[in-house]
Amino acid sequence: MVTAVHDDMFTPNVIADPYGYYGRLRDEDPVHWNDNYALWVITRHDDVTWLTRHHELFSSAVFKNDPRPAYPDIDESDLGLYEYVRHYQGDQFIQHDRPVHLDMRRIMHGYFTPKAMESWRPFVVSAVKELLDAAEEKGSMDVMRDLATPLPVLVIAQMMGVPAQDRPYVRELAEKLLYIGRGEYDRMPILTDGMKGMLEYVSPLVDERIVKPGDDFISVLAGGEKKGVFTRHQVLVNTSLLLLAGHETTINLLCNGTLAFMQHRDQWELFKEDPAGRAKWATEECLRYDAPVKSIQRLASQDLEMRDKVMHKEDRIRWFISSANRDPNVFADPDRLTSRGSQTRTSPLATGFTIASGRPWRASRARKCSRLWPSASRDCRSRLKSSNINPASPSGR
Amino acid sequence: MARKLRVRVDHATCVGNAMCEAIAPKVFRLNENRQSEAVDPDGDTVEKILEAAESCPVSAIFVEDAETGEQLFP
Repeated sequence: MVTAVHDDMFTPNVIADPYGYYGRLRDEDPVHWNDNYALWVITRHDDVTWLTRHHELFSSAVFKNDPRPAYPDIDESDLGLYEYVRHYQGDQFIQHDRPVHLDMRRIMHGYFTPKAMESWRPFVVSAVKELLDAAEEKGSMDVMRDLATPLPVLVIAQMMGVPAQDRPYVRELAEKLLYIGRGEYDRMPILTDGMKGMLEYVSPLVDERIVKPGDDFISVLAGGEKKGVFTRHQVLVNTSLLLLAGHETTINLLCNGTLAFMQHRDQWELFKEDPAGRAKWATEECLRYDAPVKSIQRLASQDLEMRDKVMHKEDRIRWFISSANRDPNVFADPDRLTSRGSQTRTSPLATGFTIASGRPWRASRARKCSRLWPSASRDCRSRLKSSNINPASPSGR
Repeated sequence: MARKLRVRVDHATCVGNAMCEAIAPKVFRLNENRQSEAVDPDGDTVEKILEAAESCPVSAIFVEDAETGEQLFP
C-alpha cells in the first residue's frame, strides 16, 4: 500500500508534532518502508507488541552490524568518530542478543528491581525537595534547567558512587553523551569527547572496586568483570549507558509530563486533589501520552513477513512506542491526557524481552517528583501564566 | 517440608521480559503470546520463585502460600 505521507522524519514539523505524522502512517501504512533512511517504520500497538516479544527475529546488535551510515547525516570528516561510536555503543549490554544478553543482564538486574528501587525513595525525595525549594526561593523556575536536568545526575552519581567533588565533571560528561540522540550534523566530536571522558574517568574507579567492592553500581559491574562476564570496556560503556539512559529519559519524562499537565489543566486539578494517591496514574499516563523514548531500532535476524510486507535479513526496523501509545484500537481518547481505569498499556519505555532495566527506577523517580510537585510548586505555579512558561521542546528522538 | 505455593502472573501487566523464566525455568514458561505463565509452582525452591517474582520489572508475579493464602510477594 502506497501512502502520501513523506519520508522525512527529521523535519521541524515532524519533530514538533510526531503524533500527527506517525498517526497518519499508522492509519495508512502500518508497516511502512521509509526510503529516505532505508528502514521499516512500525506504528501500531499490536505490531509493536508482537515485535518486542519476538526477540529472536529482531537483533539488538544494531551498532555492530548495521552496515549503513549514521542518520541523520553527519559531517563526512567525522566518519572515523562514528566508527568509535559504533564500537562504544555496540559493546553495551542492550546491544547484545541472547544468550549473551541474558548473562550480562543477570549481573545487573538485582540492582534495578522494583524492591531495590524503592530503597532509593528517601534520597530521591530529598533531592527533589532541595531542587524545588531552591526554585521556590527564586520565585520562578525553568523545569528543564532547574529540576529535570540536575535531578537524574544527582541520583545517578550517587548510584555510581562518584565522589562529591567529581559530580560537576560527571554532569558535564552526561551533557555530552546526550548528543547520541541529537540530529546536528556536527554532533560526533562532542559525543565522542564525552565517551572518551567516561572511559578515562570510570576505569580507575573500577580498578578500586574490583578489589574493594561497595554497594554502588560500578561495583556491581566490576563484579561482572571479575566473573568473566564483562570485559573492562563493557564495564565502562555500561556505566556510561546508566548515566545516559537515566539522564535523558528522566529529563524527557519530567519536562514533557509537566507540559502535558499544563496543556490539560483539568487533569492537573484532578491530580492536585490527591497527589500521593494519583502519582502512579500521573506517571504512567505521562509515559503513555508522551513517551521519553519515541522509538527503538532493531535489525531483522532473518527474512520475515509482516502484514504482507517482506522484510529482509539485516533490514533496519524501527518501532514507534510514541505512536503505539496513541493507537485508538487500544486507548480511548488517545490524544488526550486522561484517567484511564485499568486499560492495557504498552510499556512506555520498551516492552518484551529487552525492556529497559531502568523502568522501575525511572517510573518511581517520576512518581516521587509528581508527589511533591503540586504542594511544593503551589506558589511558583500561581505565578506561571501561559506567557511566562518555558516549555521544553518535545523530544525528537 | 517445603511450602506449597500458589503462583500467578498477571497478563494485563506482563510484558514478556522473561527474567522469571531465566531464573526459574521449571516454574515459569512463556506461552504462545510470549507472556509468562507459572506452569509448575512446585518446580523450584521457594527462594528461587521469590527471586523470580522480585526480578519482574513490572511486578506482574504474585506468590501466596497455597494453604494459608498468605501473600508472600509482593
